[in-house]
Amino acid sequence: MAPARASSRNNSLLLLLSTLAMAACTTQFEREYAEAERWRAAAAAAGHEWIETSRLLEQAEATADAGNMDVAFELLGKARFQAEAAVRQAEREAEAWRVRVIK
Amino acid sequence: MNKTAVMLTSILATSLAQPAAIAGPEEDRAAFVRYFQSRFPDVEFDEFANGIYAIDADSRRQWLEIEEFPPYEFAIEQGESEWQQTFANGRTFADCFAQPSDSIRAMYPRYEEARGEVVTLEIALNDCRAANDEEPYAYDAEELIDLTAFLAFEARGKAVAVRIPADQPGAIAAYEDGKRFYYSKRGQLNFACSDCHITSVGQRVRADRLGPSLGHTTHFPVYRSKLGGMIGLQQRFLGCIRDVRAKPFELQSTEYRNLEFFLAYMSNGLMINGPGARK
Ligand code: HEC
Repeated sequence: MAPARASSRNNSLLLLLSTLAMAACTTQFEREYAEAERWRAAAAAAGHEWIETSRLLEQAEATADAGNMDVAFELLGKARFQAEAAVRQAEREAEAWRVRVIK
Repeated sequence: MNKTAVMLTSILATSLAQPAAIAGPEEDRAAFVRYFQSRFPDVEFDEFANGIYAIDADSRRQWLEIEEFPPYEFAIEQGESEWQQTFANGRTFADCFAQPSDSIRAMYPRYEEARGEVVTLEIALNDCRAANDEEPYAYDAEELIDLTAFLAFEARGKAVAVRIPADQPGAIAAYEDGKRFYYSKRGQLNFACSDCHITSVGQRVRADRLGPSLGHTTHFPVYRSKLGGMIGLQQRFLGCIRDVRAKPFELQSTEYRNLEFFLAYMSNGLMINGPGARK
């Protein structure tokens, strides 16, 4: 009987560990998601949001909800990259547009 | 991140705080016209009201054929009956405007000091409905576009005459904001309106040749054969912004109204010739 008990203990340990890992992953996802969303909001506030960013964020969230974390992080990374690039674009354009004005 | 946001806000704030260093609208317009006239010395000033057809002989031929049976005629008729309909309270659109129907198109876009914003023809028409207890139209509603088609048709031959009185700082700020928008690169493709409609004017983008921005506002709304229906000017803004993979703004947003204000000012002196027909 003992081995059976041990194996069931092992199983619950495994379950516990994987739940913990998943929770860690989820909180990391949530942290990174919030960060990406802050960049998107900054781009939007500057009037420079790109067209795909919020759709990528939605897809990342849905994919994470479905438990497919690798893909979720990849989508999130794309969204974050775009949102940050859009903010940089807004920063550049705050002055750069002036040189294009026809004189 | 926070640092960036702060930096961004402060850059934007300083750029808004220095209108004095900027050339005035009239200098801008003169330079704009000079630019296109030197790029296309054979094109008469008045011709720029015809957009791409002013500079592209092939598509001009096709267009002249299309104009023999104008695809926007139905929209004008519909617009006219909208214009004449009586609201539930017995009044009509005409009661909202002091001018006759041939003099309304040229009054917009205009800056209204009391409201502190640019008012477009679409906004004025919807305001009229609201003032008469009628539901305003959606800004892409066929009824509204048809009304603007009718009023543009009535106004044919009248000059675009956007005013920016020097004693209206709000009007100048709205104009400057539209100008900044027009010349700013945006979207994943990192293009400004000016990159296509000034710098690359006349060049081919896929099946299209790029038309000049001088005259951009004179002929709207247009019937687009590609879409099989009429669209307003701001729907065109929206399409071009989407094409550079930027997130479009809402129709009649402050951004688009100010952009329209700037672009229409650039076309001052050209004749209103809407509605138009475009690919
Ligand atoms: C990547 C190139 C590109 C950019 C950037 C671009 N457009 Fe366009 N736009 C086009 C093309 C192509 C057409 C169709 C051909 C034409 O009439 O120029 C067009 C058409 C238009 C028209 C209709 C012209 C007519 O005669 O009916 C308007 C108005 C317009 N664009 C405004 C804008 C504004 C405002 C911006 C900036 C927000 C902008 N465009 C940015 C490519 C561009």
